[in-house]
Amino acid sequence: MKKKALSAMLAAAMAATSVLGSVAVVNAEEEVTLKLFSNLPDRKNGQGLVEQMIIDEYMAENPNVKIEVEALDEEAYKTKFKAYAMDGMPDVVSIWGQPAFLDEVLEAGVLAELNEADYADYAFVEGSLEGFKKDDKLYGLPRNTDIAVIYYNQKMFEDNGWEIPATYDDLLTLAGTIRESDIIPMAMDGGDGWPMAVYLSDLVNKINGSTKDLFAEAIANGDFTADPFKQATDLMRQSVEAGLFQDGYDSQDYGTAMNLFTNGQAAMFYMGSWEASMALNEDIPEEIRTNIRVFTMPVVDGGQGGANDIAAWNGGGYAVSATSEVQEEAVKFLNYMYQPDKLSKYGWENGVGLSAQDQTAYMTGEETELQKQIVEIATGATSLSGTPVNDCGPSAFKTCIESEIQNVTNGTSTVDDFLATIGKACQ
Amino acid sequence: MKTKKLSVGKVVLWVILIIVAVIQIFPLIWLLDFSLASSNEMFTSGLLIIPEKIQWGNYVKAFVDGHFLQYLKNSVLINGLAVIFVILISIMAAYACHRMHWKLSTTVKTILLLGMMIPIHATLLPNYKIYNMLGLTDTIWALLIPYVAFSLPQAMFLMTSFLDSIPIELEEAAVMDGCGIYRIVFQIVTPMLKPSIATVSIMTFLNNWNEFMMASTYLSSPKWKTLPFSVLEFTGQYSSNYAVQFAVMALTAAPAVIVYVILNKHITKGVAMGAVKG
Amino acid sequence: MKKLYSNKLVITSLVLPGLLVFVFAILAPICLSVYYGFTDYSGMGKATFIGIENYRALMQDKTFWKSLWHSVLLAIGFICIQHPLAMIVAAVLDKLQGKAEGFFRCVYFIPNVISVAVIAYLWKFIYNPDFGLLNNVLKAFGYTGKINWFDSKIAIWSVLIVLIWHGFGWGMLIYYTGIKNIDPVLYEAAAIDGANQKQIFLKVTLPQMKSVIQVNVTMAIISALKQMETVYLLTNGGPGDSTQFTANYLYQQAFKAFKYGYGNAISVVFIIICILITVLLNTIFADRDKR
Repeated sequence: MKKKALSAMLAAAMAATSVLGSVAVVNAEEEVTLKLFSNLPDRKNGQGLVEQMIIDEYMAENPNVKIEVEALDEEAYKTKFKAYAMDGMPDVVSIWGQPAFLDEVLEAGVLAELNEADYADYAFVEGSLEGFKKDDKLYGLPRNTDIAVIYYNQKMFEDNGWEIPATYDDLLTLAGTIRESDIIPMAMDGGDGWPMAVYLSDLVNKINGSTKDLFAEAIANGDFTADPFKQATDLMRQSVEAGLFQDGYDSQDYGTAMNLFTNGQAAMFYMGSWEASMALNEDIPEEIRTNIRVFTMPVVDGGQGGANDIAAWNGGGYAVSATSEVQEEAVKFLNYMYQPDKLSKYGWENGVGLSAQDQTAYMTGEETELQKQIVEIATGATSLSGTPVNDCGPSAFKTCIESEIQNVTNGTSTVDDFLATIGKACQ
Repeated sequence: MKTKKLSVGKVVLWVILIIVAVIQIFPLIWLLDFSLASSNEMFTSGLLIIPEKIQWGNYVKAFVDGHFLQYLKNSVLINGLAVIFVILISIMAAYACHRMHWKLSTTVKTILLLGMMIPIHATLLPNYKIYNMLGLTDTIWALLIPYVAFSLPQAMFLMTSFLDSIPIELEEAAVMDGCGIYRIVFQIVTPMLKPSIATVSIMTFLNNWNEFMMASTYLSSPKWKTLPFSVLEFTGQYSSNYAVQFAVMALTAAPAVIVYVILNKHITKGVAMGAVKG
Repeated sequence: MKKLYSNKLVITSLVLPGLLVFVFAILAPICLSVYYGFTDYSGMGKATFIGIENYRALMQDKTFWKSLWHSVLLAIGFICIQHPLAMIVAAVLDKLQGKAEGFFRCVYFIPNVISVAVIAYLWKFIYNPDFGLLNNVLKAFGYTGKINWFDSKIAIWSVLIVLIWHGFGWGMLIYYTGIKNIDPVLYEAAAIDGANQKQIFLKVTLPQMKSVIQVNVTMAIISALKQMETVYLLTNGGPGDSTQFTANYLYQQAFKAFKYGYGNAISVVFIIICILITVLLNTIFADRDKR
């Protein structure tokens, strides 16, 4: 208890100093209502819980501040965000530091500029702020370092004598073996489109060794005929034919895919490292949650990407509305969240994946196995791919590729048609 | 010979009726069944299960975290107000267009009925813009206005066709007694329109009770959110707990089903009348 | 009397609320749609006038035409599957008396009063290939294969089944009322002539129900055109665009793809199509009635 009070005091002091420099002191008597628009509807687990904890603490320390949360699922969130962007945004919002999301938003000038110098002591991982900048001005802060991983059920693998695949061909062979035991090899949230686009980017990364320049060039020219795209799309189509994903993967949502995995129906689950909190989620049967482990996309034969060239990026984060009437308080709250002992620390303690800040100070050795593995993957990485392809272009491109990728993987359209169509959507 | 044939026919008849009834109702029984189970029991095979332990807790979670009471209250309030507005406005307009003498009466009537042809969702985008400009988003008006507007044409239509059956002599007598138009409309005509008022209320209620596209576009805070939102919010909040999701669905469906079963006869009559006339 | 009935002030006061609602909730948004339909407005920032560019793009937009085609399919499904079924069940129900009649009528109508949000989520579970109700039912009948109900080739029919299931009670009730309204004398006359059940249904019931059928068909076509909520929640148009509908598409374009102007252009065309079809149906049926 004492420790908590102390840290709270420290935190308050830090918040005060970080704010004092740039803005006037808010009158403590004045009632302030902050509206927070969040993409984390689950307030009892993982990232949502962490966010809620910080909000509650902040309100306890600042009794004059009331924080109202509106939380929606990712897809619904992005839709509503754009509607908000037309006129009047909530004060603090979740954002993604990726061109598909941020470019149009920044162009419309709806986010407030932040003072980068304020965050010198916040221990942000190098380069993690880049996605949140425009013309060298900072408009938001990253929350996580996201790594695309394949979660697998270790016990299930051991019981059946399955091996972690070293190459993509091995993965496809494994899929056949798993199918024979009447288990789904890999649960995939294909109904949403974006996880498959991440999967595609992951494959392109393994084939090409890097993705940044390749994606940027393809989107600028509206030309996706380069070989790595073709090969990766082909591989995805083959994977579907080999029965790697569950039946009807292209119409099932996030929750369904995850539940297949967490209820022992599927042996693997392709998702971002932010789901590492599964290991602590009490809704998941214990036998399964304690056996969740990860590996990353296996290498592709003849590809230039090695096992440690991983698909990772700094995606989600927070920003403050430019039109907010309580901007000072909003920035104050934003900075409060990003004090290293808040988002980063609580996130770590609650089994959420990696934050965008240096977390080494909070590692206790008592993390879940899953967390340790993810840290290993991150520290052992030889290169990080950067933003997945669907988030590299304008929204129209994103909408197009996320819908077309369903068509090409389920065989409705051909690989060439797919690449031509998404190319056209860039213009 | 004749009796035997009849009984075979009767059996076929009953079989058809029962099959259709099962198809219509079984999904709901399934919903109830699993809403009382624990989440991972869903993955056992078999159509219906006997839960190992009946999980009333699912409903507690659904009731509390789903803001059930608040959303129910909002739903009832918004729909109730919409019904009242629709009835008032439609009676007034129908009376003016049908009974009173003025040049533009047919034109105005046609204009008001035109709303029937406009797809409601085509106005989602511009309406959002308008409400935003006027500061109406996230207020009760953002839902009331479109709900009233899109229920009005049908109500107008029904009221007009019912007005036909009210003898004009009654009104003439009232005029002799020195009644003004307003008193005629509200004290003499309105009570006689009772059956069509019932029909309009039921149709308006049914049409708007389940609406959520507008609600999800125009509303943001929980203040005015309506019942369908419980379901939408829950799928995110309890994405890893299917049983609770089922409980919230059952809970959301319950009020309307209960009211329907109780008022079954009246609602059937109302809908039937509206359908035949409309 | 006449003076009283043509008092302009009174008339205005009676009509004004209705007109205001119409102008505010229907006319104004349509005008705004027409305006934005001519711009490249993204939803934020500035809107530039680009003439008919959006409409030109729309003409070549495969997904748009596909979504319209899906409405046609849906209307055909309603008319060819839901309505005959509803009519037969209504006719059968008519033969019953007493409590059973009320019971079945009530049961058939229940799905209708349940929110689309619940229906859509419920059917998502029912259709799940791995643990859904439908495949479990098939398994109970001995079929062990897993059917993927949202395979892009059949997804549109799966959506159709949900809509038929949901709206069945409504259609049935309307036909039921229509049948109840038929003058019993006609049946008696037919019975005297020695007609059997089938003949009575074809020769008496069907022709007498003509106007009810017309109303129902019109409503089916219009509701097929306006379909949005179930699809939005059930499949959101996917996989790919295999279950895309116009209303859902315009919503996606405006709020997801950041093409607010384009979305409004779709709105405008959508409204025009709806009006055209309603007028067309009315004239067709009006002509028939005269004959």
